[in-house]
Amino acid sequence: MAEQKEQTLEEIFKEMEGLLEALESREISLEDSFEKYKEGMELLKAAGEKIDTVEKAMLVLNDQGEADEF
Amino acid sequence: MKTQRNVYSVGQVNTYIKNMFTQDFLLQRIYVRGEVSNCKYHPSGHIYFSLKDETGTMPCVMFSGSRKGLRFQMENGQSVTVLGSISVYERDGRYQLYASEIIREGAGLLYERFEQLKEELSEMGMFDPSYKKPIPAFVKTLGIVTASTGAAIRDIMNISRRRNPFVQLVLYPALVQGEGAADSIAKGIEVLDRYGVDVIIVGRGGGSMEDLWAFNEEKVARAIFACETPVISAVGHETDTTISDFVADLRAPTPSAAAELAVADLGSILQSLRGFEERLDRLMEHRLQEKREKLETFSWKLERLSPRQQLLEKQQRLADLEELFRKQMEGKLQEERQRLALLIERLSGASPLKKLNQGYAYVAGEDGKRLTKAGSARIGERLTLYFADGRLSARVEEKEQEER
Repeated sequence: MAEQKEQTLEEIFKEMEGLLEALESREISLEDSFEKYKEGMELLKAAGEKIDTVEKAMLVLNDQGEADEF
Repeated sequence: MKTQRNVYSVGQVNTYIKNMFTQDFLLQRIYVRGEVSNCKYHPSGHIYFSLKDETGTMPCVMFSGSRKGLRFQMENGQSVTVLGSISVYERDGRYQLYASEIIREGAGLLYERFEQLKEELSEMGMFDPSYKKPIPAFVKTLGIVTASTGAAIRDIMNISRRRNPFVQLVLYPALVQGEGAADSIAKGIEVLDRYGVDVIIVGRGGGSMEDLWAFNEEKVARAIFACETPVISAVGHETDTTISDFVADLRAPTPSAAAELAVADLGSILQSLRGFEERLDRLMEHRLQEKREKLETFSWKLERLSPRQQLLEKQQRLADLEELFRKQMEGKLQEERQRLALLIERLSGASPLKKLNQGYAYVAGEDGKRLTKAGSARIGERLTLYFADGRLSARVEEKEQEER
């Protein structure tokens, strides 16, 4: 599945639910299961990367929209 | 003649007067204007105060059950209008005003303006749910329009940091009350919208209706409406309602609540990611297990149907038959042996040798054949007599025949 646009965490979570639902179906073939599993793992990795863990100081804007650290 | 004097008890008089009050329509619902004095908030929740003007004073009480009719902290010296009923407090023998609603002087006017603007903007469709943008579940940058000092920004910072310290907060320090507040708030919304954040919280901490007034200004309402970024309105306390609340995409009861609504809890995000991973693993393991079991069933079925298996089965069958055959053969042989033994027994009982033992002999002629009749023998013929222990040679000398 080609990524047309960077996914938000929300979209990832939603897609994840869909994948899990598909995997839950008993009719799914082994090949498809592997495919979905791979996709799921990639999504989780992408989600993990989305969560940036750099602590942020608050920015304060002036009227011109210029930012200063608080 | 003695004049008749009627004497009444205190209770009777107080009850009589109280009835006069209760039967008076005007006193049952009356607005009284005055200045607050002797104001006491009782721990029970009741508020005792007096209303006074230059001519006099009137004792008032607001019971805790009516407290929703008071939207501000009442203090001595304030000019207020009280709606209530006037009745007699029999214990003290005095009348008082039982307040159900207290409005600050001037607030009445503001309230009218509020209602009017609300009506106008509502008619313009600015509160229409179809314009409401959804609040993204996971924001990375959160814009805030509020005062740079004050409870609101502190609460938002604390809650945001606690839930997810990695969300970038961007503050537009706005004037939230007094002259120019509406302009400042509207400007802040525009600036943040242009700067680019995921969600904007617009708000301030609690205060009087006048304090919160900027959030009832049309300018602010229009700025919120025009804002491309989803806006959460968070003005004052739970009970305060402003025009901003109606226009915003989401109304939060307080700035703290707004921060909770805007900033997803990092812990629960990570937890759901872990949950997803576990479910994924478990489901995959399940699928694999299922397929493995299916494969086993098939291979077992296949093996049963394979020619090799059939061959083996036939071989087994053959071996079984052979064994059966052998057993039957053996039985038969055994039986025959038995019969033979019996015959031998019988035969030996019938053996001629036995007879020979008893004084008989077997007679053979010269031709070696058995001689059974005297008539068959010739005179002079050589006979052989067989005995059990040997034989004798004899010659026929005389012949005597008996007719039979």
